[in-house]
Amino acid sequence: MDSMTDRNQEYERLIAPIEGRMMRAVWRVLRDPNEVEDAFQEALLTVWKRWDRIRMHPNPQALVLQICIHAAYDALRRKARHAKRLEAGGIPEEIVDSSPSAAHDISGAEQDAQVLRAIGSLPKNQARAILLHAVEEIPYVDIAAAMDCREATVRKHVARARAKLRTLLSHLIPAIHKEENSHA
Amino acid sequence: MRDQNENDEMDDLIRRSTQVEIPAEVEERLRHRLAAFRTKVEQRPTSRLRSLAFWPPVKIMAMAAAAVAAVVVGLVLTPREASASRVYAAAAEQLRTSQSLEYTIVLNDTPYVGIDFSYAAPGFRRVNCSWGIEVRADHTAQKQIVLMHLTRMYAIESGKHVESVANSEDLVEQLLSLPPAAGEVLGEQRAGDKRLIGYRLPKAPLDTSVAGLQSFDLWVDAGTRRADHVDISIQEPGEPVHQMHIRNIRVNGQVDRSLFDLTPPAGYTSLAATNAGPGAGKPASSQDALVLQAQILQSAPLTAVVLPMTGSYALSRVAIEKVASYLNTQGVTPAGSPFGRFGSEQSWDAGYPVPPGAKVDPPFQLVTLPATQIASVVVDGAWGADSSARWSAFFKSVIEQGYIPAGPPMEIWSGEDAKVQTQSTEMRIPVTKAK
Repeated sequence: MDSMTDRNQEYERLIAPIEGRMMRAVWRVLRDPNEVEDAFQEALLTVWKRWDRIRMHPNPQALVLQICIHAAYDALRRKARHAKRLEAGGIPEEIVDSSPSAAHDISGAEQDAQVLRAIGSLPKNQARAILLHAVEEIPYVDIAAAMDCREATVRKHVARARAKLRTLLSHLIPAIHKEENSHA
Repeated sequence: MRDQNENDEMDDLIRRSTQVEIPAEVEERLRHRLAAFRTKVEQRPTSRLRSLAFWPPVKIMAMAAAAVAAVVVGLVLTPREASASRVYAAAAEQLRTSQSLEYTIVLNDTPYVGIDFSYAAPGFRRVNCSWGIEVRADHTAQKQIVLMHLTRMYAIESGKHVESVANSEDLVEQLLSLPPAAGEVLGEQRAGDKRLIGYRLPKAPLDTSVAGLQSFDLWVDAGTRRADHVDISIQEPGEPVHQMHIRNIRVNGQVDRSLFDLTPPAGYTSLAATNAGPGAGKPASSQDALVLQAQILQSAPLTAVVLPMTGSYALSRVAIEKVASYLNTQGVTPAGSPFGRFGSEQSWDAGYPVPPGAKVDPPFQLVTLPATQIASVVVDGAWGADSSARWSAFFKSVIEQGYIPAGPPMEIWSGEDAKVQTQSTEMRIPVTKAK
């Protein structure tokens, strides 16, 4: 069979069904058109470089989504570092009021930004694992295959990510508020 | 159990904070990237070395063969990618050596704002604009006739000016001098049963004659290796982005030579004769020597309810009354004076500006006219009086200032219907600088 047709079929099998998920995976994390486009291109470049591995992978689509999430996370980290530099230079990016009452005052967009910043502050593997698990709803076993590690390791990454996020975002979670209020 | 609830709540928070839809324009950009990526994947060579490298027993061998692989990629990949290059090269060559060319240029995605273009070697060109301007040129003789169908006037020009007016609109110079290699392969598009490959052309030397050229994308039918269409983006400093599309490209077809006839059609009068006639030198109020000074301005964006029309422009008043009556029944107050846009007698419209967001029912339409560069002049006097002479004088002033029309003419009527002495008409037309 003609190799161009083969490649076309590979694309149809591996990428076409998840094109929408790939785009959303990057957009949800970055939300800036130019950053999204750059990160998406980075992801496609990685997919291109790893094409042979992807087409022989037991769960190629999870691997491709993992690549997209990783590219978005990298861009998010760069953005966070840049914001930190600005802050260090005397321009505070944003002051987060983490008092319990602040939960009622925070608008949806601010809340989204705080959650994304918190994810951006996580170590690489924890961020990838929690995004693949909570946002993309990919089973642990497939995340493990995509991240090339054991399922138990993925669970550990997710648990640690949740613990850190719980500390960073306690003001946004009603159950934790209640807990804090009852202790008070 | 509490831990489980907390985990669920945290996951829910993350999910809620990331569940946002991609804006359509961003999705379009990403799909563009995916299309380019798909082309690359389809052109990717089958590499046995690559496949075997992931089969554990031969991993070491594959590492040792890395240097050889580089050579293989050089040998295998280059000819495959050259296939897309050959498709472009064939289309570009055909355009460069074409003896005749015909196509339609559509401006800013507005279907009826279009230009039919015809070319026959060595230098015959015809630009027929949907807003009633036609230019027929013989570039070898440096002579052209400009026909203003709206007013049934013509102007014959010769010398250097001939080059400037036609070149600004028709883009034929760009198509006849396409570089032998494209700058970038954009990917693929499907159009019916056609598979199109897109190429972004390098800016130089194309931008030497198109000021503000941002991109010039040629799409070629991979099956026939012929140019299918061109998408052009132009933005001059401080100006809005203009999109132009070249469609219906026909290369080396039979072109009717009478399209380039420089003889003035019967019933048309010379613009020069009108302006140098008996009234020349008299005050501007004289009908015989009407002189108007067009102002070049930037128009503000406008939202309006219009009634699409065909047939005689004399129906403008009827159209306006219908729109006024409709707005009245809807409880919408017009946000400005009534106007008519005269593309051609096959397609024109008239209506009122309205506040943004108004709801309309067919046959009425809500349209948004983007901000653009216009020529404008306000003439006092009864609406519709001396229309032909006014438009002739207006066009003359526009051309004399080095601009050419780039859209349909428009009249905006102010004053009171019952009091002629209060009436005035603003004539305006989108313009572009003649190069």
